Amino acid sequence: MFTESTFVFIALGAIFAYSFYAVLVAGQLSLGQAGFASLAAFTAATLAPSPKDVGDLPALLIAIVIGMSVGALTAVILGLPTMRLRGVFLAIATLAFAEAVRILIINMGWTGGAQGMSVPKVVEPWMAWVILALVAYWFWRQAPSRYGRALEAIREDELAARAMGIDVGGHRLSAFVSAGAIAGLYGVLWAYYVRLLAPEDFGFTKAIDGLVTAVVGGSTTFFGPLLGSVFLEMIPEVQRAIGIEAGWIRPFLAGLLMLLVILFLPGGLASLLPRRTLRLVSGTAIDADPEGALGGLAQRIHPAQGETVVDLVGLGKDYGGVHANKDIDLHITGGEVIGLIGPNGAGKTTLVNMISGLSKPTSGTAEVLGLRPGKAAVHKVAAAGVSRTFQHSKLFARLSALENVMVGGHLVGKPTFLRRLLWLPSARRDERRLVLHAARCLERVGLAGKESTAASALSYGDQRRLEIARALASDPSLLILDEPAAGMNHVEADALSALIGSLAQDGLTILLIEHNVGMVMKTCSRIVVLNFGEVIATGTPDEIANNPAVVEAYLGSAEPEDAS
Amino acid sequence: MRTNLFTLTAAAGALALALTACGSDDGGGSDAALVGEGTGDDCVIEAEVPVGAALSLTGAAASYGESQQNGLKLAAEHLNEKEGVTYALTVEDDQTDPKQGISLFETFAGDGTSVIIGPTLSNTAFQAQPIAQDEGVPVLAISNTAAGITEQGDYIFRDSLTEGQVIPQTVATSVETYGLENVIVMYSNDDAFTESGYEVMASSLEEEGVTVLETLTFSKADTDFRALLTEAKNAEPDAIFVSGLIEAAIPLVTQARELGIEVPIIGGNGFNNPQLMTDAGEASEGVVVGAAWNSASDNPENAAFLEAYETEFGSQPDQFAAQAYTGMMLIDHAVREQCSAERDAIKAGLGNISEVPSVLGTISINENRDAEHPAVVQVVKDGKFTVLN
Repeated sequence: MFTESTFVFIALGAIFAYSFYAVLVAGQLSLGQAGFASLAAFTAATLAPSPKDVGDLPALLIAIVIGMSVGALTAVILGLPTMRLRGVFLAIATLAFAEAVRILIINMGWTGGAQGMSVPKVVEPWMAWVILALVAYWFWRQAPSRYGRALEAIREDELAARAMGIDVGGHRLSAFVSAGAIAGLYGVLWAYYVRLLAPEDFGFTKAIDGLVTAVVGGSTTFFGPLLGSVFLEMIPEVQRAIGIEAGWIRPFLAGLLMLLVILFLPGGLASLLPRRTLRLVSGTAIDADPEGALGGLAQRIHPAQGETVVDLVGLGKDYGGVHANKDIDLHITGGEVIGLIGPNGAGKTTLVNMISGLSKPTSGTAEVLGLRPGKAAVHKVAAAGVSRTFQHSKLFARLSALENVMVGGHLVGKPTFLRRLLWLPSARRDERRLVLHAARCLERVGLAGKESTAASALSYGDQRRLEIARALASDPSLLILDEPAAGMNHVEADALSALIGSLAQDGLTILLIEHNVGMVMKTCSRIVVLNFGEVIATGTPDEIANNPAVVEAYLGSAEPEDAS
Repeated sequence: MRTNLFTLTAAAGALALALTACGSDDGGGSDAALVGEGTGDDCVIEAEVPVGAALSLTGAAASYGESQQNGLKLAAEHLNEKEGVTYALTVEDDQTDPKQGISLFETFAGDGTSVIIGPTLSNTAFQAQPIAQDEGVPVLAISNTAAGITEQGDYIFRDSLTEGQVIPQTVATSVETYGLENVIVMYSNDDAFTESGYEVMASSLEEEGVTVLETLTFSKADTDFRALLTEAKNAEPDAIFVSGLIEAAIPLVTQARELGIEVPIIGGNGFNNPQLMTDAGEASEGVVVGAAWNSASDNPENAAFLEAYETEFGSQPDQFAAQAYTGMMLIDHAVREQCSAERDAIKAGLGNISEVPSVLGTISINENRDAEHPAVVQVVKDGKFTVLN
């Protein structure tokens, strides 16, 4: 009942689904893969030598090289202008590209128009499966590498990924290019198996098939596309085998089955299998680690006491007519713990967004660790040593606590993907170092033992702590904490205060935004008070506590308002 | 996790082995019973003759596949009423998907099917028929009109006339009848069938010395042709030649008449469908359709077919049904010739078909394994196809 071609099409379907998986892991929805595949297939079938002259396998390999290059190159060309697009906009842009390719191929002389071109059949089932194994191997090795984690982080929260020092544009483009190359690979294999290469076989339906295969199989684990392809290619075969009469019933049942899978297995078929959890190192291993504080990871030299860390001159930010920040002068030096307080809406978050490079000032200049945030990209500001937490937790929800912190350690870790592909022991060592480092960061904020819990499953307080651990993991010189104690009781807040103190001892400069004034008074060496976007007071905790303007603006006037 | 992956791989491997095993064990066995005694009408074959048809019953080409299925079933029914040979017809759906087409051909080749009919579309034919050729299973194409189908190998036959057999005659007849000098050509360029039809059309027009004022292309999915037709009208042609499918033909003809284009509209095989008159109504009057099947023919086979089809399915057959019906009849002819339903006997029998009366007229299979029978140029008159003289 099942024939040779079923096995080949399972392999081909899975390879095509991997080209969707390649971008879905980075949170991108692209529908252009059918376009890459058809361009690659037509080019390769035209340029590659005939199997009669050079033998089957060499001809196929040459065609694959051509096809993958065409796919990758096209992805670069398409990716450069479209990588700024998100979600459904990217989907539409890439779909438009695929349609343009289809029309182009129909109207070109060398492609044979709608009647297509005939291609010798070369692909044998074993070839398709060997190639599928290589592609699956690629993604298997990619997932737990620094590159793979960065892509997952981008998928979960792009802004946070940026703030952790990940070059989001570059990573998105490289994911897109690998999607293009794999789609090209698929196109070539398809052409060299089905004998007739016709543009109609690379239409909208093909793109949807690939996407559905990847999603039904599961787009967060590397074997998802394979499961999806087995499932979808088997549906018609099984229906035929059990004797459901040919006709509309079959596609109807197939649709129904897919609906059920999506409804009850939102993570795809792959979620039927237990998710891989990072094996943890025991606490003793952390203590026994001989290689110093960062265990052999890149280490930063923090600015010494008195050296300039942040220098803001006349900084301002307008949203339309609203002055969120106005004329802010602030000078922070190495080792200081600065508290930034002010009533709600005073412009505190706007200010730290400008310092960390997330938003551009509309006036004035800012210099942070020798960079101009707002002009330099966010990940470059992070690379210079700025790390931050967010007022509203921006964790990578579906990643474990440990993985969250490991993404935070993106800047101190080394790239491991290519070395993992080759099974180099040094990659394993580097990954281990990063795990140790991340575990240490978790321990430092009091999250030891929660390493394998998904970030979204943590309690609110633990999520706040995880944000701090993640920010710490990049070994920052300037740590910005945006309301870290929100939702903590006073015992926890005291512990946090102690932690901040010990971090300052390590030479970190800390900018703390907090509503818990008691904690700020206790922790900070200097306090800046904002109101209506302007600095209304700066000074030691004692000076601030006795400043009448502050008392009136922030702590509330002692006298009733109507008395004035 | 490691164990899980391992189990998964092992299970997949075991599954693969099991499936390959059950794929290959059918095949032969009953072959002996497929050879009978007697010849021609006296032939008696004990075993049922397995005939497999891979048609597009769902997907883009479903409307053609449906007609073909009707034609085949009707023919099998008629043949099984006759003494001697019974046919076990299996109609399978390729979903207008080359993957399914290939898989079906492999299945038929592997399960001992004597002869395979199909697939519906020429593009799928190029993808699937080589499998039968490699396995030595005769194939009878009943709707593939593209050039090169039978060149794929000596096991591939067809009873459908190619574009090259139908369109030149259509062009010649209409040029002569209407005295055409300047024409417009329209075709959908994203469909293999209509594109190859256009190519023949263009070369025939050139041969006839007709000037093509303009060649306009559209997509097979288009339903609004007003802009193109306005352009065509402004060129003031003597006629409009169209290579399109019936889905395009109906709105195109209707809109042309709405825009006041009164010149003849001349179409090919794609137009040869009674839907043209039912759906386009008045507008279809005067449309010229060159086709492989003369639905108005009063030869006894055709008259019987029309009546039986109408009784069975409650509608008029189209060319796809007629060609499918004829296909089954030709297979019966081939089987009875040597009184054997073995693959090579059918192959030989199909090759020997000569001057056989059929729904399509007197039909022969030539040395290129292509069919030869009279094509027809029809014109719609009073809501009916009549032969254009």
